[in-house]
This record gives sequence, C-alpha cells and structure tokens, in this order.
Amino acid sequence: MSIDKSQWQPKIIVFACNWCSYAAADLAGLNHLEYPADVRIIRTPCSGRMDPLLVLRAFNRGADGVLLSG
Amino acid sequence: MKKRVGVFVCDCGTNIASVVDTEKVAAAARQFPGVVFATTYKYMCSDPGQELVRNAIKEQELEQVVIASCSPRMHEKTFRKAVEDGGINAYMFEMVNIREQDSWVHHDREQATQKAIALVRMAVSKVLRNQPLQVSTIPVTRKALVIGGGIAGMQAALDIAEAGHQVILVEKEASIGGKMTQLDKTFPTMDCAA
Amino acid sequence: MVAVAQHPNIEMITYAEVTQVKGYIGNFKATIKKKPKYVDWDLCTGCGTCAEKCPTKKLKDEFDLGLGLRTAIHKVYPQAVPGKFYIDAQNCTKLTSGKCGVCEKLCPAQAIRFDDKEEYQEVEVGAIVMATGYDLFKWEEAYGEYGYGKYPDVISSLHFERLVSAGGPTGGKVQRPSDGKEPKSVAFIKCVGSRDDTKGKSYCSRACCMYTAKHAYQVKDKIEDSEAYVFYMDVRTAGKNYEEFYQRSLNAGAKYIRGRVSKIYPRGERLVLKSEDTLLGRPLEVEADLVVLATAMVPSEGAGALAKAIGFSSDKDGFYQEAHPKLQPVETFAAGVYLAGCCQGPKDIPDTVAQASAAAVKICGLFSKNELATEPMVTQVDVSKCSGCGFCVPICPYNAISLEPIQERGHHGPFTRNAAQVNSSLCQGCGACLPACRTLALNLKGFTNDQLVAEVDALCL
Ligand SMILES: Cc1cc2nc3c(=O)[nH]c(=O)nc-3n(C[C@H](O)[C@H](O)[C@H](O)COP(=O)(O)OP(=O)(O)OC[C@H]3O[C@@H](n4cnc5c(N)ncnc54)[C@H](O)[C@@H]3O)c2cc1C
Ligand code: SF4
Ligand code: SF4
Ligand code: SF4
Repeated sequence: MSIDKSQWQPKIIVFACNWCSYAAADLAGLNHLEYPADVRIIRTPCSGRMDPLLVLRAFNRGADGVLLSG
Repeated sequence: MKKRVGVFVCDCGTNIASVVDTEKVAAAARQFPGVVFATTYKYMCSDPGQELVRNAIKEQELEQVVIASCSPRMHEKTFRKAVEDGGINAYMFEMVNIREQDSWVHHDREQATQKAIALVRMAVSKVLRNQPLQVSTIPVTRKALVIGGGIAGMQAALDIAEAGHQVILVEKEASIGGKMTQLDKTFPTMDCAA
Repeated sequence: MVAVAQHPNIEMITYAEVTQVKGYIGNFKATIKKKPKYVDWDLCTGCGTCAEKCPTKKLKDEFDLGLGLRTAIHKVYPQAVPGKFYIDAQNCTKLTSGKCGVCEKLCPAQAIRFDDKEEYQEVEVGAIVMATGYDLFKWEEAYGEYGYGKYPDVISSLHFERLVSAGGPTGGKVQRPSDGKEPKSVAFIKCVGSRDDTKGKSYCSRACCMYTAKHAYQVKDKIEDSEAYVFYMDVRTAGKNYEEFYQRSLNAGAKYIRGRVSKIYPRGERLVLKSEDTLLGRPLEVEADLVVLATAMVPSEGAGALAKAIGFSSDKDGFYQEAHPKLQPVETFAAGVYLAGCCQGPKDIPDTVAQASAAAVKICGLFSKNELATEPMVTQVDVSKCSGCGFCVPICPYNAISLEPIQERGHHGPFTRNAAQVNSSLCQGCGACLPACRTLALNLKGFTNDQLVAEVDALCL
C-alpha cells in the first residue's frame, strides 16, 4: 500500500497556551502568514495544563502529529 | 442540563466570509448532536449581532452557545456578557476562532471551510460539557505596604497616600531615603538629591 | 522625604524588615520585625547630646562608606528622617561589656532604653509595593587588576559622591582617602562589573554612563588645572537631555578614552592605569591621583529571600521579575504585589519615579473597588479521590495548594486524613497541577479533562 502524498491530509493537533502561543497564532493571522489548513489549535490555559495523556489520546484517535507550544 | 446548543457563525464583513463559506459551516453545525439552531450574521459583535444571540437564546430556549468568529482574546468578554444578558450562565459559552486562525491564514476556500467545521464541532463537543460557573468576590483591604524607603518607595507611598489610602512604609535602615541621600547632585538636572 | 514623614496617611516604620507575608490580593497579612534601637523614639528629640559625649568616637560611618567617623549612638546622617538617634549594639560599650551608659545619664529626654528588644508587628494590607532598591557590585572581590581594594585611592563612584557632597565627610572638597590631598588627575573606569560575563554581570547598569559624565564634570568644575579621564566601552545616553549633559562634560574638558583598563599599579604617590585606546589602536598609560570605578548595580541583600517569602520570582540576576517585560512592567506573578525602582532592574531616578507612580496607580485602581471579582476558572479538588500524596503542592507556581486535614467516616468511626485544598483566590487557573495528580482528583473548571478530551476527539474525527 502506498500513500498518495499529494492527496494525504495529515491531522495536526496543536495545544497552544492562551498567553503566548495562542496569541502568537493570532498574530500570525494578523500578519496573514499562510500555513497548511490541516493544523488545528486547541486552546489551553497554560502549557502546564498539558497532560501527557491528552497527547496519547490524540494519537490514539488518529492524529498524525501533535505540537505542544507554550 | 438539557443539550440545546445554538451556533452563530460570523462573516466579519468579508474578513471571514471571503474565505470561509459560513452558510456551509452553519448547515454542517445543524447536523451536530445537541445543536438545535445555527445561523450566520455579518457582524456578530455589533449591537444587532448580540441582539440576535440574546433573542435566539430566548426563542430557541438555548442552554449552550457557540460563536464562531474572531479570536476569543478579542471578544470572549463581549460575548460572555451577551450570553448572560440573554439569560444563561456566561460560562455556558465557547468561542471558535475562524478568523485569526483560519480565514486569515488560509486561502483555499474548501480547506478553510472544512477547518471551520472541524473547529465548530470541537467547540460544540466542549460546550456540551461546560458547567455554569459563578464569579465570586473577595473583599479588599484598602491599605498598602511599601517595602523599602528609597526614592521608589517614597514616591509610591506618597502617590497612594495622596489618593486617600493608608500606607505603611517599612525601611530596613533607621532613615528613609535610600541611595539617593548619599548622592550629591543628580543628573540630568543637577539639583540636590535630598 | 519630609513630605513622607509628615503625610497623615503614611505610617513610617524604619529600622525594620518584613519577615513573612501570607494571604492573597486584597488580603495580605505581613509580619514586620522591628529591630531594637535602644532609644525611645517617642521621647528622643534628636538633640544629639548623647552622641557628643559617647566615647566610641572612631567608628567607621557606613553612610559615608567608611570615609567619615561616627559614634555608637548616632543618626544615619544629619538630615535623617526621622531625625532620631539609635544605638549600634555591636559597638556600644554598655551593650557589649556593661560599662559606660553615658548617654542614658545625659539624655535630657530620658529616652535611652538599654533593655530594648526586637518587636514583631502584624499588619493587614490589600497590596504590596516592592521597592528594595540595589546594592553595588563588590568589585574588590572580583577585580584583581584594580588591586582587590588594596589601594586606598581606588574608590567606587558612591564614595566619590560622598567626597563631592557638601554634606559629606570632607564638606564637598575632593580629597584622596590616602593622604587628604586634592587630586589633580582623576581617572574614571566605567562598566566595572557590568557588561562583563567573566568577572561580573552581563547586563548594563544604565545609570553609570550618566553619573560618570556628572563626576567628570564635577572634577573639572571643582578642581583647578585638573584632568578627568574616562575609560569607557560605550557612552550610553539614551534619555531626554542626556546626550546634551554628556556633551557638557566633554566641553568642560573631560577626556574620554575608549578602552578597558587592564591594570592599575602604584608609582610613587600616584596610580598608573594601563590601557589601550581602541579607537587609535595604541597602548596607553595614564597617571592618576584618584581612580573612580563605576560599579554595577546588583539586587539588594536579602531581596531574593524576601521574594520567596512573599511568593513571586526573581530573574537570573536576582532582580525581581516583572509579569511581562512590555505589557506588565510593574506587576509580579503574585497578584497584588507590584514593583518599583531598582529592585526590578538597574535604572536611574527618572525611571524609578515613573515606575513608582505606575505601581501606585495600579494599587489605587485596585483600591477603587470594595470587592474584587475572582476568575471562576480555577482548580477544584474532589477530596473523595485525593490520596493526600501532595505531589501537586510544589507544582503550583502560585502556592495555591496546601494539604489540610479533613474528617472522614470509616468502618471504625470518624478519622482524619490529609487532602489537597486549593485556595481559589490564589489559584490563577493555569492547570499545572492537573497532570501531577495520579488519581484525577484535580480538575480545572472550564478546562476539565473531560472537556479537553472531547475537543481532541472532535478534532480527530
Ligand atoms: C554613584 C551613583 C550615582 C548616581 N547618580 C544618579 C544621578 O545623578 N541621577 C539619577 O537619576 N540616578 C543616579 N543614580 C541612580 C540612583 O541611585 C537610583 O536610580 C535610585 O537610587 C534608585 O532608587 P530605589 O528606591 O529603587 O533604590 P534605593 O535607593 O537603593 O532604595 C532602596 C531602599 O530600600 C531599603 N531596603 C532594601 N532592602 C530592604 C528590605 N528587605 N526591607 C526594607 N527596606 C529595604 C534600602 O535600605 C533603601 O533605603 C546613581 C547611582 C549611583 C550608584
Ligand atoms: S552607652 Fe553606648 S551609645 Fe551610650 S554613650 Fe555609651 S557607648 Fe555610646
Ligand atoms: S550605563 Fe554605561 S557604564 Fe554603566 S554598565 Fe551601561 S554602558 Fe557601562
Ligand atoms: S491551576 Fe495552577 S494556580 Fe491553580 S492550583 Fe493548579 S497549579 Fe496552582
């Protein structure tokens, strides 16, 4: 089995801290900096809130990549 | 708590609607479990926009509200207030960022619309698990403690005292004044330090 | 200063320190330790009869940095506020060996109290301003090339301030500490301990370029036929009218030499400074009668311990950490605790005053309300699940969690055990404690495990 790379749409889940990374993503928006639409952001109150179990949950449900940013 | 979610998708003029098909997002939202009402509007944050939310809460007997618009860092407070004025708890509300984190950073209409739908699905799923929260209050003792009696501490103490509040100024040496009292004349004016 | 002392709303507690702070914004309880002064300040009139007769005449005056002398019973300096006398217990003959007591006999107000004790006072306040200022970098311990402090005529800038001050030990005449002669050639070295990763601090102390320009000008102005040499790395004059101020020193004849001094050694009565003029690329030797070091500002002694006691953080250099360098420059991570002056970082008086007023405004804003609304998105403990392990306690950056005994009913009747308790006024809703809890006893309202899992699932669909 092979993956047609041009059609493949990865699921990228981002956990972003409300105070820095989430704000930075907003700033990227303000500057209209383009990035792939497969990137989906979940807002967290702080990166300290991140439980490793949430990352595992994401992979378990089929995420292709998880980015924690804070 | 009953599951009666209302979804409101904002065009933000053309800021969102030029890239995201907001009607399609609203239509998709109507299919999500728990959603009983979904609509779009040109400017959700405007007075008529908020009015729309308030009325829908009453008419549709909404228990939860999801607004897909700009960043929550922008208007979360505005909408919490609107939701509360509509008659439900301000925390039975979630906001979806389809402007800063969608329409402004993608240009493929189909992909951006799909992303908006996914983000709304996420928020609906979350809001169904929200609990009403109460803002509580704590009393304030109107008295300040200033630690250190140099120019910084003296200035802060004076400003607070002048505003009519009590101040306790604690200094470790036997005299206030700090380093400045050891200086002769000070730049840039060369007036005396004491 | 007098305005502070006379203000009806200000209670001034000097010769005292804050030892403990508990509570949270709007509701702090602070413990103040008052050190024994051995003089009843309600009675002392500040007449000074005691100091005139005190036999301990030869003590080094800290205010004049050892350039002047004082007695055991003394004021910090003549214009001290409050203008009262106190006894330095370590050097008082009566307190160390039981003899003397002259001041007690002579004091017309009968204010002397040899049995004075340390006292603790508890106060309740709604907000705190940290204004503990700075100390000077101990160059004597780091700079061997400048003689480790063994040459009496190599002094710090603060010493120099005492020498030029009309209220100083020399009445404002610049004199060499070694022989009291007027120096004809004065050399200034900037950035001593600042901008020096190997021996000192990496940061710039911000005030020294300007006060050195001031000192060089004062030398030219006060001493006839004098030379003022300034060794520098850069001249930083970023302030309103600062560049003009520096130009005035240059116009007065101060000689600025770009280069670091690599060695100072004595030659006869004078000192030789070996350096290089890096603009000309030439080695250089300057003879001076007095060398003045512009030493770095460092956080004041005990500043770090105080921050710990109150519950906010210091930066890598020990200065108090502001909540955000641009947007919250006077706030700390502890709500209700604000920063003013050099405790937050080196700065000059204009910046210090501006920051102090900013901190005051923040507090006045806080005090404009009777009550404070608290953010409801805080952590909740399900005590039935909490095992009392305490893992979460040290994780919380805001010290919001404590283990508290709770009553429970077991097979053999009631018993007590420990369970975590979150103080919702301290909790900032960061959620850092949640991953630490093995039993899922903690949950953050608004960002519960259930909610986040639902989000992940919905996105991965
Ligand atoms: C040689 C020299 C010359 C200068 N010349 C100028 C000039 O001409 N113009 C200019 O604008 N700036 C000048 N400055 C800078 C100026 O000194 C500072 O900007 C200013 O003093 C900072 O004030 P502050 O209140 O923050 O700190 P400080 O003056 O250090 O005051 C801090 C106070 O807090 C007290 N304290 C410390 N710890 C505690 C504690 N734990 N509990 C209770 N009290 C405590 C200290 O005893 C002190 O009284 C000069 C600095 C130096 C070194
Ligand atoms: S008792 Fe102490 S302070 Fe008083 S005069 Fe004697 S030495 Fe000085
Ligand atoms: S202010 Fe000037 S002398 Fe002081 S550390 Fe900065 S550059 Fe050096
Ligand atoms: S959420 Fe953050 S602030 Fe609140 S108790 Fe947990 S660790 Fe402390």
